[in-house]
Amino acid sequence: MRRSAFALIAGALILLVAPLLISAPKIGEPAPDFSAAASNGKTYHLTDLRGKFVVLEWHNNGCPYTRKHYESGNMQRLQKEWTAKGVEWFTVISSAPGTQGYVTAVQENAYLAKMGAAPTAALLDPSGDLGHLYDAKTTPHMIIINPQGVVIYDGAIDDHPTSDAGDIPNSKNYVQAALADAMAGRPVTTAVSRPYGCSVKYAGASH
Amino acid sequence: MIYSMSRHTRALLSFCLALGLCFLSGINHSTFAASIPHGTVDLVAENSWIAPGYGSTVGLHFKMEPGWHIYWVNPGDSGEPPKITWQLPQGLVAGEMQWPAPHKMGASTIVNYVYDGDVVLLIPVNAAASIAPTSQAKLGAMVRFLICSDQMCVPGKAQLSLELPVRARPPALDSSVESMFTAARAKLPQSAPASWKFSARETRDSFVVDVAAGHAIAQAYFYPLVESQIDNAAPQGFEATTLGARLSLHKSDQLVNHISRLKGVLELGHGEAYLVDAPVAAATRKP
Repeated sequence: MRRSAFALIAGALILLVAPLLISAPKIGEPAPDFSAAASNGKTYHLTDLRGKFVVLEWHNNGCPYTRKHYESGNMQRLQKEWTAKGVEWFTVISSAPGTQGYVTAVQENAYLAKMGAAPTAALLDPSGDLGHLYDAKTTPHMIIINPQGVVIYDGAIDDHPTSDAGDIPNSKNYVQAALADAMAGRPVTTAVSRPYGCSVKYAGASH
Repeated sequence: MIYSMSRHTRALLSFCLALGLCFLSGINHSTFAASIPHGTVDLVAENSWIAPGYGSTVGLHFKMEPGWHIYWVNPGDSGEPPKITWQLPQGLVAGEMQWPAPHKMGASTIVNYVYDGDVVLLIPVNAAASIAPTSQAKLGAMVRFLICSDQMCVPGKAQLSLELPVRARPPALDSSVESMFTAARAKLPQSAPASWKFSARETRDSFVVDVAAGHAIAQAYFYPLVESQIDNAAPQGFEATTLGARLSLHKSDQLVNHISRLKGVLELGHGEAYLVDAPVAAATRKP
């Protein structure tokens, strides 16, 4: 009895909130603009990056799926390869204070150095605003924006949704493939996939 | 929770030893629960022994601290279901894990299908007719899973084992675990009554599912068995009809190809849950 009353109230709340939800950026549509502070002290504006490919990589240093790609060196290899080819690569940390993966700028700079990570910068998003703007769901969740500012990839890093680094050699890396396609002027073969990993630890999340 | 369990285990052991009854008490039906991050897990056998040519069932029993959860076969927007790798004697074959109806957990944009508290995942184990009687057959299982709270996710693994005799007579139910297995079976989604019909059609951004049950359905929620077909976080449209119900499920942004069937679990409340496997009629173009 009490449970059904609760379900009714919860249902009513969902209906009220639903129209306010921002839908995720869609493939082929302009990437929403943002301005975000990085652990290196700089602030980055998406509009300043027109003319370049931009990668957004949602990150949580304690999440077993993030660790899979960092402890194996897989993410760092991608970062080095593609930033060397002119890609602007942003690690985005949307963990709220008190949750797994939350870091201060000093802690993040130490982590980047220790792991040999090589993104253009690590964006600190403890409010979750940037994460919600892109509807980032997991760590890792990967988004690629082309030089015209259009979203060309949204999804997982690869096709093995596990936390086992042993799966990496047998995986098809969607980010690698999408960047290679787009830079060669080809349409992106796989433009959407299901991102996998831990849920992004947003402020006020009820799970 | 871990502490109270080990106290309980210790108490059971000392009681056994005091009476010298350990070999008779049948505590071999289950390994002791393995400690995992934020809970325990153990393997439990429904029968007291394995019999050549008979099927039996084992339960993978998770107990989690409040606030922690593991994932359904379709975890939803994040997470990963538990996976089990068996090490079985020749002649024993384990089947597919059976998943109780999950519950939905989540914020406005990330929705997961999970279990919390206490959950038993049932697994059929079949014995070949040729398996030889023995005093102890050891069933080993490596279990890997992700366990999460609001604030964090932790990977877990446990090496479990179960020792059971193989006897050349029909297996007997272990009465000490009967209620656990009865409860676990009651939570599995059932095949819908033969008279029910499920059908689905596709619109531009949704799947509309019609349930013809022969009577009105007051409430229903659809849990998708396959990832990336429906938008987990979108509210589900529900309409009671005279002979059933109609649900409207928003398509997932990750759905890029046409699907011919929509599979899921339809939960009607009060623990009533049915398996749905509905053919999907393609979108009809309006003139």
